[in-house]
Amino acid sequence: MSEKLSSFISEKNIVMDLDAHTQDEAIEQLSEILKKNGNISSTEGFYEDVLKRESMTTTGIGKNIAIPHGKSESVTDTTMMFAKNKTPLEWNSLDGSKVNIIFLMAVSPATQGNEHLKMLANLSGRLMDDDFVSAIKKAKTTEEILNLIKE
Amino acid sequence: MAKKIVAVTACIAGIAHTYMAAENLKKYAKKEGYDIKVETQGAMGLENRLSQDDIDGADVVIFAVDTTVQESDRFDGKQILKVGTSEVVKDGQAAIDKAMELVK
Repeated sequence: MSEKLSSFISEKNIVMDLDAHTQDEAIEQLSEILKKNGNISSTEGFYEDVLKRESMTTTGIGKNIAIPHGKSESVTDTTMMFAKNKTPLEWNSLDGSKVNIIFLMAVSPATQGNEHLKMLANLSGRLMDDDFVSAIKKAKTTEEILNLIKE
Repeated sequence: MAKKIVAVTACIAGIAHTYMAAENLKKYAKKEGYDIKVETQGAMGLENRLSQDDIDGADVVIFAVDTTVQESDRFDGKQILKVGTSEVVKDGQAAIDKAMELVK
């Protein structure tokens, strides 16, 4: 399991000091990192798919957290990015709160039943756990975040 | 005996809200001392599938869905609360309370 988790998420999936000024800018900057990491084939294509999903209902789930996600042909390897933004961003959240914790999920349409999809599902469920959320918010280093996600 | 709830969660992409809604329903049902089983209909297909016995034995059904429920004929004749996944993610307690209100 730990080997699978390491291939799913490592230091390069985590940004502790994202400096975006809007929701779109945050998604764009994180998409660029996914491209650099080799998880998506097109920054533009993925970005558009995430915004399309965003336009249906907000992914600002409350408590300063957002989980933008895109199931996109541009994704070659299902994964996620974690980011803490320096300033809180307007995200049209369910509870009206501004967002500084972002989990960007990138899903390939070809990954039905895939282990990575299970991990995203599992992580999504844990976001309902107040202890997990407060630990994520308190974490100050990449390593702390990695350990929490891998727990 | 504890009241029994069965629920189905499903969102458009089947990636995140399906699973958040499932966890939040479980969290608040447990808090109130109810038994709950949740079937997720997400990108990985039907998981934790509810048996006909589960459904027949339930006091109330919750559909936390943004899309159509697969094999919904299993629930014919049951009292069903239908809500969106976002509503349940935002306020799991309210969803449980509303469902129980139906079968008071």
